[in-house]
Amino acid sequence: MRRAFVILIVAFVATVSAHAADPNKVLRTVFPVAETGFDPAGVQDLYSATIEQMLFETLLTYDYLARPAKLVPLTAEALPEVSDNGKTYTVRVKKGIYFIDDPAFKGKKRELVAADYAYALKRLIDPKIRSPWAWLVEGKIVGLDELAEAAKKSGQFDYDAPVEGLTTPDRYTLQIKLRESDYNLPYILAHEPTSAVAREVIDTYRDVAGRAMSNPVGTGPYVLKQWVRSSKIVLEANPAYRGFTWDFAPGDAEDASIVATMKGKKMPQIGRIEVSIMEEDQARLLAFQNDELDLMNLEGPLAPNVLDGDKLKPEFVKKGIKLSRIVDPSIGYVYWNLQDPIVGGLSKEKIALRRAMAMAYDVDEEIRVVRNGQAEEVQYPVPPGVVGHDSHYRSPVRYDPVLANKLLDWFGYKRGADGYRNLPDGKPFTIRYASRPDSLGRQQDELWKKALDGIGIRMQVQKDRFPELLKLERQCKLMMRTASWIADYPDGDNFMQLLYSKYIGQNNNGCAKIPEYDALYEKAMKLPAGPERDRLYHDMARIIEVYAPWRLDTSTYRNMLIQPRVVGFRKHPILHAEWAYIDIAPANGNDVATGLGRRAAN
Amino acid sequence: MATDLAALRGTRAPTAREIPHTVSPGLWTLAWRRLRSDTVGMVSLVIVAAFILMMILSGAGLIASDWNREVGVNYAPPTFLGEEATATAPASITLPGAGNAAGATQYKSNIVDPIGDVIEALKAGKTPGEAASTGTLPPPETAEEKSVDPLAEVMADIRKSEASKAAAKPVERKATLPFGGDKWGRDVLKKTIKGSETSIFVGLAAATLATFLGTVFGAIAGYFGKWVDDAFNWFYSVFSSIPYLLLILAVAAVLQQKGIFTVILILGLTGWTGVFRLMRAEYLKHKSREYVQAADAIGASNARRMFLHIFPNVSHVVLVQLSILVVGFIKAEVILSFLGFGVPVDVVSWGSMLNEAQNELILGKWWQLVAATTAMAILVTAFSLFTDALRDALDPKLKGRAGA
Amino acid sequence: MSAYIIRRLWQMLPTMLGVVLLVFFIFNWVGGDPAYVLAGKISNQEQIDNIRRQLGVDQPYWVQLGIFLKQIVTADFGASWSTNERVSHILLTRLGPSLTVLVPLTILATLISIGLALAVAYVRGSFTDRMVMIVCTVGLSISILVYIIVFQYVFAYKLGWFPVQGWGDSFIQNLFVYASLPILIGLVVSIAPNLRLYRTFFLDEINQDYVRTARAKGVSENRIMWIHVLRNASIPIITFLMAELPGLLLGSFLIERFFSIPGIGREVILAVERSDFPVIKAITVYVAFATIATNLLADLTYKAVDPRVQLK
Repeated sequence: MRRAFVILIVAFVATVSAHAADPNKVLRTVFPVAETGFDPAGVQDLYSATIEQMLFETLLTYDYLARPAKLVPLTAEALPEVSDNGKTYTVRVKKGIYFIDDPAFKGKKRELVAADYAYALKRLIDPKIRSPWAWLVEGKIVGLDELAEAAKKSGQFDYDAPVEGLTTPDRYTLQIKLRESDYNLPYILAHEPTSAVAREVIDTYRDVAGRAMSNPVGTGPYVLKQWVRSSKIVLEANPAYRGFTWDFAPGDAEDASIVATMKGKKMPQIGRIEVSIMEEDQARLLAFQNDELDLMNLEGPLAPNVLDGDKLKPEFVKKGIKLSRIVDPSIGYVYWNLQDPIVGGLSKEKIALRRAMAMAYDVDEEIRVVRNGQAEEVQYPVPPGVVGHDSHYRSPVRYDPVLANKLLDWFGYKRGADGYRNLPDGKPFTIRYASRPDSLGRQQDELWKKALDGIGIRMQVQKDRFPELLKLERQCKLMMRTASWIADYPDGDNFMQLLYSKYIGQNNNGCAKIPEYDALYEKAMKLPAGPERDRLYHDMARIIEVYAPWRLDTSTYRNMLIQPRVVGFRKHPILHAEWAYIDIAPANGNDVATGLGRRAAN
Repeated sequence: MATDLAALRGTRAPTAREIPHTVSPGLWTLAWRRLRSDTVGMVSLVIVAAFILMMILSGAGLIASDWNREVGVNYAPPTFLGEEATATAPASITLPGAGNAAGATQYKSNIVDPIGDVIEALKAGKTPGEAASTGTLPPPETAEEKSVDPLAEVMADIRKSEASKAAAKPVERKATLPFGGDKWGRDVLKKTIKGSETSIFVGLAAATLATFLGTVFGAIAGYFGKWVDDAFNWFYSVFSSIPYLLLILAVAAVLQQKGIFTVILILGLTGWTGVFRLMRAEYLKHKSREYVQAADAIGASNARRMFLHIFPNVSHVVLVQLSILVVGFIKAEVILSFLGFGVPVDVVSWGSMLNEAQNELILGKWWQLVAATTAMAILVTAFSLFTDALRDALDPKLKGRAGA
Repeated sequence: MSAYIIRRLWQMLPTMLGVVLLVFFIFNWVGGDPAYVLAGKISNQEQIDNIRRQLGVDQPYWVQLGIFLKQIVTADFGASWSTNERVSHILLTRLGPSLTVLVPLTILATLISIGLALAVAYVRGSFTDRMVMIVCTVGLSISILVYIIVFQYVFAYKLGWFPVQGWGDSFIQNLFVYASLPILIGLVVSIAPNLRLYRTFFLDEINQDYVRTARAKGVSENRIMWIHVLRNASIPIITFLMAELPGLLLGSFLIERFFSIPGIGREVILAVERSDFPVIKAITVYVAFATIATNLLADLTYKAVDPRVQLK
């Protein structure tokens, strides 16, 4: 009965379309968290963005194999021309790219033009849309902020008003003028919030907030076929997609075999992508092992089941399962609120207190126990894979509770009768460590509790749900918290800005205001990537070490598990989805097309 | 009138139907006698008593107080399984271009470390006193402290911390533990014992709170009737109409997480409705009984009548409800832990163990799951069977339907 | 009868009002401010204020309460704050999967429990009876979390009898393939308490005078059990079932999460995690309404089954 059913599905799918992608090639993958929607300006979560990368196209993207990540044109004919010391960018859109058909276009074919990108950029700052990505353009493009100001007063953003810094000299050319030199703009043009959307589509489907969350109409390689919210997302190859020929240069030996199998193929190959949302770790791993998934990200707690150190366990190797791993372009850190009366401030005794706490924390144990070995210690605030990273840099901040204790003694943090230390003025104090009520949060609580107990500092956990923590953090009311930051674009600036005092109340979550750091950052901001900026970054890294606004902890590994039939997969550090670059080996049996695994079908 | 007073003293010969409702010192004696003849009930009682003893001993720090010590290797298997065949020590991981290249360079930086001199001195093994006396360093900021020997305390502390570190170091981690170890290498057996302390305490305390609230509200509503009853009934129906899950999440959000008392409050504040309904009915029934009217005649106050006269006659209902709630709350604590509103980190409960063990089963490390589940199953089963026996003993009218 | 129904419906109003006030109070007072999450990882106070204005959370409380009341009356709870999806659409699409599991589960659990309870009531007091009761008690003492983890691991993964998780588009496939293991787990956790409860209902009836009379008249034991006892015990069973149903809708969130079933319970947890008040409020109000309505329905059924019952 079930088999008959399966064959039926296969037969049905086979008749649908006849373009490059093979509808019989189905990729099944999984998200651990529910998506929110598919308006590039409206969503901010990783999982919605992953789908968006398949539906929409940015001007630029990253080379699939080049490491560190390298920008290449996507819908642009070439990389932008930079002039005026990084203040003016000109980019030309390829001709003959069309949006998928949609009633909003009233039966006409709709070509992608430069104005669509200008529109997308304007949407980011439209106060009504309240885009979480406003910061990508805010204060940067000449004349755009003024338009947003006017919109706040009138209640209506005027998309037709001319903006000096955002013009389309002809149908296919986009020119962006910046207020100040900024060499990171090309990265922003590769970031999915700036994907092209058609104004007619948004006008047709927008909700009260001006977003079109559930009607994605793009130019990308896939279209949204079915969407059961927070449960299942099905994509199918876009029949109108222009396609491309797989041609990437190998970076290492692993790449060489990928190139050998993939080179020259017409892409995309996979006809259908099914994404399921499964919140529970056990469900995800069992589903993969049961062959109900082709591709999955192996989250930390699951790693020991699959990996021995950095290798797959023999039983997985025997099945032909492959592993692709990278260090996420991310840093984890614990911050102390520099405005807090107990842990904040830049006086020597406060610095000593923070540094003692930093030295009391055993990052190796976090890696071993909390991260299950799937992370490495962060040495430098710019993580691997991001421009400005220095792989030779070694942070002098080490786990050294003995020294930490001595340091506290030196500065007069004496132990009271209960064994816990008091402030130099004799007052007792308690560190509040804020964390989320999830299992990761709980494990970090345990580690920090152990660390601070070890140096005689009283610690209390402040538990709250994420929205509340965020609110308190923005108001500089937390004392310390573990945070992390993953690159929006692979440039060091994306990380170094986290301690810039202008961003207090935004993403400078420790509310740090260190004048020396600010001065260095303002200098570095105006420089293109290069040795001069690297020198400034070194000094800034040093400031983080000596003033201890942060204790850097770990960069996590991203382990992708791949079933043997998936070929050409290599995890990209910045791109969320590699689905358009990979293929599925011809199926032996019908089970590829069904949601059920081989085991269950037999 | 005379018979009324007699009823009050419990000397009137009770009819069969009224046995449970009559004040009679014999009620409890009789119940105890019935309970003692119930084998299952007695065995259950012994088991429950053993668990409670364990809870008290553990609470007093006499057993399992060192559950937090990492005595075994990570995920040490239970002794009867023997040692893990393959060591799973994570190999050092090297990734292409990941930045593990050798040859760390020290960068010259003009950033001045404001406390660099102190750190260097401490690293060189100098004590605060030495460094200060050689004059190479600014005196420690504690210099103005006015003890006779300003160094003695600091020195002692450093020595103590060195000593404790030295003491902590040589502890050999065991390869196996009686019931296995958790991911940190803590003894699962000790965790289970310590966890039983928390879980039982939470169950008992929350059930007491819920029963107390339910009884007081029910007594007031049932006794006073009229608009008081209407008001409490309204409150009850509002409370019981809101989905329990959302109620729990809401109360949890109000209280935030501060400790096991929060868990007790969450459960207690949301769990009183069943008791309320029963107690209200009992009080409605009893307030018109002769013995209550008799108390009225001798001028007993309302509160006195409610809690001194009526309450003893309905206390067996309260006891059974309490017992049912304990079981329910011990189980509910597991779900609270799953939702992230369980006990804090420095406390272990069966709920927190089960949630830790969630991912361990697929790793093949089943022992924590089994230990916590078994302990909980034994206690909860015994408690439920004891509750049944208790109900039978207190309310022999029901004896028939309990199957004897 | 109709007068009674009208009066009961009228009496529902204060309760509903109380629910509304309590929900409003709880979630507006402590629910957390969603603006900070919605604003994105780099945002300023102005953007946050803008969001608060759009969501209406900067309005005075009485205005917000008025809006809430209007939403209830019009049954239009607006759009989800995190996805902008219409709340009514969310609820409608999530209800199907939840019911696909719950309806067969409730029917099977009730039938099996009634059958078993009758059987053990028939042999009441015997060794079998006591053993069944003890097994039930033991089964009850294990957390549903453990059942889910172990059953998914053993039956879906190790033995491969069921898919580990999933949900499809075809109702038949969902019911017979994806919902099977969740239903099985549901049966295991619900039969034990039901059996214990129903057994007491049956024993209550068996001890009644009319059963003794029937027996004295020589009515066969089978007939007594199946006709007299079952019919009379069905009243408390129906009442119990009615009271249980609304709670089950949310209570199955654990099963829905572990088996990736897009149901209401999972949606509630997601909404709470995201501080998505429109969704939370709508679900609370609807479930509260369902609870009150089923209470009424239970009373009416009571009356229908047993005309002797006086409705006040």
